[in-house]
Amino acid sequence: MINTFNDILAAAKQGGPKRLAIPAPTAADVSLAAAAATAGLAIPCFAGDAGAIAVLAAATTLREGDYELWEEKDPHRSLARSLSAVRSGAADILLQGGISAADFAAVLQDRQEGLGRKGVTVSYASLYQLRKRDKLILVTDTFLNNRPTLVEKQQILANALGLARLLGIETPKVAILAAIEQVNPGIPSTLDAAILAKMGDRRQFGKAMVEGPLDMDCALSQAAAGRKGLQSPVTGNADVYLVPEIETGHLLAEALVFFGEMQTVGAVLGTAKPALLHLPFVTHDNRLTEIALASLLVGNGGGNG
Amino acid sequence: MIRSLSDIKRLAGEKGPKKIAVLAPEDEEFMLAVKKSWEMGYIEPVLIGNEGKIAQAAQKVSFDLAPFEKIAGGELQGISDLGIKMLFDGTAPIAGKGQISTSYIYRSIIREEARAASGMTVSVMTFWEIPGSDHLIAFTDSGVNINPDLNAKREIIKNAVFVYHLLGYPRPKIAVLSGQREVGGKLSSYEDYEALREAAAAEEFGSCEIVAATSFTEIFLGGRQNPMDYSRLKEVELPHIFLVPCLDMGNIICKLDLFLDVNRSSLVATSRGPVCIPARSDFSDVIVQQIAMCVVLADRMGKEVQ
Repeated sequence: MINTFNDILAAAKQGGPKRLAIPAPTAADVSLAAAAATAGLAIPCFAGDAGAIAVLAAATTLREGDYELWEEKDPHRSLARSLSAVRSGAADILLQGGISAADFAAVLQDRQEGLGRKGVTVSYASLYQLRKRDKLILVTDTFLNNRPTLVEKQQILANALGLARLLGIETPKVAILAAIEQVNPGIPSTLDAAILAKMGDRRQFGKAMVEGPLDMDCALSQAAAGRKGLQSPVTGNADVYLVPEIETGHLLAEALVFFGEMQTVGAVLGTAKPALLHLPFVTHDNRLTEIALASLLVGNGGGNG
Repeated sequence: MIRSLSDIKRLAGEKGPKKIAVLAPEDEEFMLAVKKSWEMGYIEPVLIGNEGKIAQAAQKVSFDLAPFEKIAGGELQGISDLGIKMLFDGTAPIAGKGQISTSYIYRSIIREEARAASGMTVSVMTFWEIPGSDHLIAFTDSGVNINPDLNAKREIIKNAVFVYHLLGYPRPKIAVLSGQREVGGKLSSYEDYEALREAAAAEEFGSCEIVAATSFTEIFLGGRQNPMDYSRLKEVELPHIFLVPCLDMGNIICKLDLFLDVNRSSLVATSRGPVCIPARSDFSDVIVQQIAMCVVLADRMGKEVQ
């Protein structure tokens, strides 16, 4: 069972290095790739201005032979080259590199030319390491989907459950969050949550305990839930928190980092192959853990968790 | 200037006791909070609700109700209407929610505001006391408006600025939050931010400032391009008021107190006085804190026991 970021790193190292395709890398990307190579996690494959990249690489622990260089001066062509390598299996994981998040996200969701898959919603999960005990929690979707429909939420949850199981959580406990714990037709998130919970009851998500709607006090505290007459093994001990929309998702992800000082890493889920986005509040060290997490997804349903 | 919940407690002790219309205190935990608040000199409760259930709850926490006014009430909307009416006609400067759904309370407040032609929109403020911060921060609206439009947000800001002025902050800083980020196009919450910032600059909300940041990343890191650095988070000067984009986000974030190292306190500021609205899951100490805050606000609104 993987309970900490160190566990993720250790598990990924056991699987051996993966080939990282990195388009138009920045100095930070090259430094990260060097750290990943040193840790035995990665063989970097840089696509971009070969001369400039070689200079950046020389300033790190990377030596010639530790990495591959694909000459593509135009950033969009470097992305196309990297994407092609990942799609063909010549590389294992696609990194954002120096590509804008918007352009990179478009590639992730493109079902024809990119890493999107027919009938699957690509989503983003933020993982947090609890501070008081060894446990990882997942919050999703925290970056990619603005206002997911019920069908999309169903897929976002399925993606997260895949990742939770990959981390060794046999029966993930899921809190479907909303403003209140009662089903209120005036608050659409509570209706979606109730339907998803019913799907969970009927085993439509496989082995999982899905509870919703839950407001945050009920999700976080069994005692608080008890005061509201709500008894569930999910309360106070959820593994996965599904948010209703992006305003909640992204700001909650940030709040846990900035108010809670919690360490976080992220994972793109639902893609044909693993990919890594760079969110601004993920540290350099934790980006290394993101590479390790993506490595665990290689050969385990790709980015589908 | 009130900087902490400790300031609030001290002031509540000094300015109390104030009469509070307590709606359906039929739960042991809430009755315990009433008892503690009375013992600390914050309040003089008027208990409205089912007499049998009230007596039973009081007995469980060994609270002698003999000195207090009691008003019998049956159905919940009636209890709520009666208590809120006492607030609006000046009989009590504070109303407080017991074991009763907030929807009843909001309905009563909206009716009384309409009757008073105050033009005030009902909104909830949830305060956080964060260790190391030199002021209280507040999330709003964390309780009433499900998806507030631009006009509703204007009113919510006015309410929050009004409360912060009462707390002694002459020019509170406001962050209009949005899920706006590098992907997903422009969100309506971000468009609202742009419009509200212009309105604030034109002094539409009185003395206040809307800061140039819509995410916690921008607030804490000074921009989304700046590197993450946990060691500097405590040095950041936080805005006072955080306008949330929707009810889901507001309510979910404000209850993170169960997870984070912060203390929470919520209230509704009506045109006639504060209403204490603890969550049904709150325990007595948190409820006492919220009552104390209402006592102080009532005092500053110039509402005295009549």
